[in-house]
Amino acid sequence: MSEVFVLGVSHHTSPVALREKLAVDGKALGETAVQVAKAASLQEVLIVSTCNRVEVYGGKGDEAAVAAWLRERVGGDPIDDYVYVHRDADAVRHAFRVASSLDSMVVGEPQILGQVKEAYAEAKRAGSIGSLLDRCFTTAFSVAKKVRNETRIAEGSVSVSSIAGDLAKKIFDDLHGRRVLLIGAGEMGEAAAKHLQKSGATIHVVNRSFNKAQALAEEIGGNARRIETLSSELTAADVAICSTSAKRFVITTELMRGVVKARRRRPLFMIDIAVPRDVDPRVGDLDNLFLYDVDDLEQVAQENLGERRRAASAAEEIVAAEVLAFEKWRQAGALKPTIVGLRRRVRTVLAGELERTLPRLPDLSDKERRSLEKMLDAMTNKLVHRTISEMKANAGTPEGQALVETTRRLFDIPEERAEREPTGPAVLEPANARTKAS
Amino acid sequence: MTVVTTLMWLTVALYAVAAGLYVAFLAKGNEQGSRWSAWVLAAAVGSHLGFVATSWAIGGHPPTSDIHQALSLMSLILVAVFLVLARTRERLRVLGAFITPVTLLLFLGAAMRRGAGEQVPEGVRSALLPVHVGVNVLGLAAFAVAFAAGAAYVIQERQLRRKQLGGLFQRLPALDVLDQLGLRSVLIGFPLLTIGVVTGTMWIVQGSLGLSATQGFGLLAWLLFAGVLLLRVAAGWRGRKAAIGTMLGFLCTMLVLVGYVVRDSFGAGA
Repeated sequence: MSEVFVLGVSHHTSPVALREKLAVDGKALGETAVQVAKAASLQEVLIVSTCNRVEVYGGKGDEAAVAAWLRERVGGDPIDDYVYVHRDADAVRHAFRVASSLDSMVVGEPQILGQVKEAYAEAKRAGSIGSLLDRCFTTAFSVAKKVRNETRIAEGSVSVSSIAGDLAKKIFDDLHGRRVLLIGAGEMGEAAAKHLQKSGATIHVVNRSFNKAQALAEEIGGNARRIETLSSELTAADVAICSTSAKRFVITTELMRGVVKARRRRPLFMIDIAVPRDVDPRVGDLDNLFLYDVDDLEQVAQENLGERRRAASAAEEIVAAEVLAFEKWRQAGALKPTIVGLRRRVRTVLAGELERTLPRLPDLSDKERRSLEKMLDAMTNKLVHRTISEMKANAGTPEGQALVETTRRLFDIPEERAEREPTGPAVLEPANARTKAS
Repeated sequence: MTVVTTLMWLTVALYAVAAGLYVAFLAKGNEQGSRWSAWVLAAAVGSHLGFVATSWAIGGHPPTSDIHQALSLMSLILVAVFLVLARTRERLRVLGAFITPVTLLLFLGAAMRRGAGEQVPEGVRSALLPVHVGVNVLGLAAFAVAFAAGAAYVIQERQLRRKQLGGLFQRLPALDVLDQLGLRSVLIGFPLLTIGVVTGTMWIVQGSLGLSATQGFGLLAWLLFAGVLLLRVAAGWRGRKAAIGTMLGFLCTMLVLVGYVVRDSFGAGA
């Protein structure tokens, strides 16, 4: 049995077909977590579900029942090969890495933190988490923030459309009032145009079919233009994005020579996202014209991704330090039942002896009795002090664990889980009982 | 060492350190150093002001009375303009990598002094001399900024064309910003330099000064700037060629100054 564990599938380990089946709807995260807690007799459960991962975090209980629940969800198919399990410190590290976007497909992408926060809020609302997972995830959020602020993990665009936007800003600085000409109706071209639009540029759309141009212009909030005006549109534009499905060059060197002349040296940024390419590569040699094709943009994306991966090693160090701190807190908590039990045992033995002796001392005044009681407390403290400080100093090590077990055996301390946390699954406890116990 | 020479070498040292910090930031993205660069440069300006004030007080000549002092004044104005520019527009801070080395060179030219105010020919010494020197100094400071913008433009354009989008590319401002800065600086500098050329030509026409290679370069620089400006404003010229034209114009004016300094320092005659 683990204090805390995680069971899940992600883009690293499983095909999307499996993740689809396991995925939990955002609104149902809390209720599903409550169900899992009941079914698997867990005190705490939190479920994270995104398109790249489905993970069940459990606190204090057996993970086998969660594995069975997952299997049931896919109709009993064997899924063990795809499911990973992390326990205790590894589970905490995994939670921190996921929240910090270190485990993401695109390292450093910002969405995952929001998704984990949503999962946490849902679990909290449904009451499926207790102090352990609560602390684990609130710490994960601060770790994610720290990683974002102190490393370069989220720097540099990694998508073709945002890189196109970055480059446009490096040429024109402010894109407000700049004109973007979108040639063709390819999806990537549309994405890039939208990106520039968000920065303040206006969009003109040209397509071989004017109807298509109109439909697209309407959809993204631009102006449709006829293909016959291509040359004058190119002359007026600041950025041209080409993504037609044409088999040969739509933008020829001859066309662009005339355009460049008419532009009178105003710089033109051309982005050729089409495959096969729309723009004759020789166009890129013209003056005051910067031509980037999809490979150029992909290469920048790969370089930036490489930068992020290098930054990830610094992020891993931050995570490691935070996991250590969290484990210290968790182990200090784990010692509590033993410490309480030890004190109680020693105090009970001493008090029993005092009980037996008192009848033989009938002349004691109340004040003297109270002094003897106080002496019991002092003796208890003196007797247990060394043991407790040794246990604390060795917490988390095998020796520490052996010491705890030995102490429990020598002082005959029973398993008293109720000392630390409510018994049974947290979700079954009324809220006031939980606050009293903790 | 006298107070004046102490201040002079202190200023040289501070400019050199500032130039090093700015260049290191541009080339390597050294953030740590760049935080100090503006302070070091401000300290250099303070020390430079002290140098100008003490040499005026001790020597008795105003800072427009000979070529060395004019150079010193020009570098002071250039740095002051840059500090204000960098403070209002954060992105232009990296241009310090071009401006501070120019400043250092100008000030070193000023430091190669041999006596003051004696080399100016008799016929030229008039009330007009401070005006001639003053407008030239201000105009050249503006052109120095245009030069920095042009140099950055040429580098940036080349990187964009070669698709080298590394740290240097990221740190330099956008092409359009550099183009506009170059245009504005020339627009400010050109009228000032025109007055400078007109006053200078007057002395030549009066016959109190012969036409030499240095004055020739001065005219050439003025013509280059006039050409660049005309093409920019009238023909909508911009971009790389405008930047290169601006840089050539500035280099010509630098040749004029080198001519003056060499003549003054080694007494080669006008």
